[in-house]
Amino acid sequence: MNTLLFLGPPIVISVLLSIILGYFGNHILSRGIIFIDIAVAQVAALGTMIGLLVGFGEESLGLEMTSYFFTIVVIGIFALTKFADQKVPQEAYIGIIYCLGLGLALLLAERISGGSNFISKTITGNILWTTWKDVWISLLLFSLIGAIHVFFQKRFQSISLNKSENSSINRTRLYDMLFYMTFGIVIVKAVPIGGIFLIFILLIAPAVSVTLFTNNWRKRLIGSWIIGSTGSVTGILLSYSLNISNGPAIVCLLGSLAVILTLWVILRKRTVSV
Amino acid sequence: MEIISFMIAPLAATLILGGILVYFGIHVIKREIVFIDIALAQIAALGGTLAIVLWPETINGGGHEEGHHLIEYLFSLLFTTLAAGLFSLLKSKKIRIPLEALIGISYAVATTAMVIILDKGAGSDVHIHDMLTGAILWVGWDKVLRLAGMVLIVALFHWVFRKNMMNLTDNYDNSSYKSKRKNWWDFLFYFTFGLVIVEAVQVGGILTVFAFLIIPASTTLLFFSTWRARILAGLLLTVILTIPALWVSWTWDLPASPVLILFLGIILIISGLVYQIKKKVT
Repeated sequence: MNTLLFLGPPIVISVLLSIILGYFGNHILSRGIIFIDIAVAQVAALGTMIGLLVGFGEESLGLEMTSYFFTIVVIGIFALTKFADQKVPQEAYIGIIYCLGLGLALLLAERISGGSNFISKTITGNILWTTWKDVWISLLLFSLIGAIHVFFQKRFQSISLNKSENSSINRTRLYDMLFYMTFGIVIVKAVPIGGIFLIFILLIAPAVSVTLFTNNWRKRLIGSWIIGSTGSVTGILLSYSLNISNGPAIVCLLGSLAVILTLWVILRKRTVSV
Repeated sequence: MEIISFMIAPLAATLILGGILVYFGIHVIKREIVFIDIALAQIAALGGTLAIVLWPETINGGGHEEGHHLIEYLFSLLFTTLAAGLFSLLKSKKIRIPLEALIGISYAVATTAMVIILDKGAGSDVHIHDMLTGAILWVGWDKVLRLAGMVLIVALFHWVFRKNMMNLTDNYDNSSYKSKRKNWWDFLFYFTFGLVIVEAVQVGGILTVFAFLIIPASTTLLFFSTWRARILAGLLLTVILTIPALWVSWTWDLPASPVLILFLGIILIISGLVYQIKKKVT
């Protein structure tokens, strides 16, 4: 019973994360901008470090706002460059943003005590430290963002799925901006909880596993939610009983599932067609 | 005078890295698999880590430094080969999943699997940090020569089979393009790339390698379209930028790899502006 009480917040938060990230993951996968969250997380971390340098205290509101500010500025630039020049693929821009963000963070890390520790913390995270307060705040924030997305669902879908679009380029840009900003807010909130890799896997792996089998948007969403939540809860229980780290356990579980399913689909079709 | 003799090894290392990576960078950007190098580096590192865990006596037993390094290297090589096979298999018309997604998943699994293996935490933070930044200013001639040897072999291979390699990448998403032993060439592409990455990360760290892979190739893409022009322009860019960057890093005692990345980034931004202005004028 004690175990369950102790694992309560991590389990609830991992299901919450699976739902919101499973949704965004399908958008990200369809847009082919796989590494966007890692870049956003890096920029957010850079913002936090700059906040620390300017003199905001740890875990203060000012610090969190600095982080959001940087994220939104960079994401705005990213959304705007989308139509300006398609010569260089967007994924390359994402890589460059990530690279510059991490490079700057490493330079600043030299100036902050415990700076390099901070970089490692962004990478690993620890979901076991989640409190009920974190759960409530996240629930509130994610519901708000979910509501925005339910309201504009047609718009966002048609951009992601590249359907023929009547509205002007400026309108599309506006919706794109809204999409990326809400996404950025979720990532900035989620990465300190689970670490970059857990967030990345919850975004991409369930979406990949389902999209192998169906093109239907609704089925993709529901499938991602089921796979993501089941995988996270199993991972947490497994890591608890085997005494290994929880985040990595979930990542390996969901990641291997996606790769194995993909291989299975490819090889099965190959033998059928020959 | 002292600074010059001190700088020759890092300078040589950076130039070799810059040269081979701009070439692979063009491949990688055309294929839109930008993050492949991080994934390959991480998978190779996972192999090395596994070797250390499986035969800890070779490290702790002392004396057999060479033997330990050999096993570690062979395991890295084995894992790179497996990854090359996996990636050439996963690119398939039969699925709608972009290869980049599967590359990302492999990267995440390899990194976290290493955390699980090394676990009980101690030292793994430091290890991650070291792998990211590297220490190109302190590189020794032995590593530079190893890198040069490997780059020479791989470059020669790609030069001899340049038609196959370039056609494969130029037609990467073209489903009507048929070539004999297409998967086999694809495998060789990833395998040779992996060989270079393993050596390159040892010298420069993941971040520097990543920056040299994509930033020069993206910058030259703005102005040139042929392979030859882009490779030459990328090389020139590397030469011009490396000397002041290393000098700044040495003089102000800053880590070399972030400084190199910032220089590359600044040049990209300037090139982007020049490109926009040029487009407006014409």
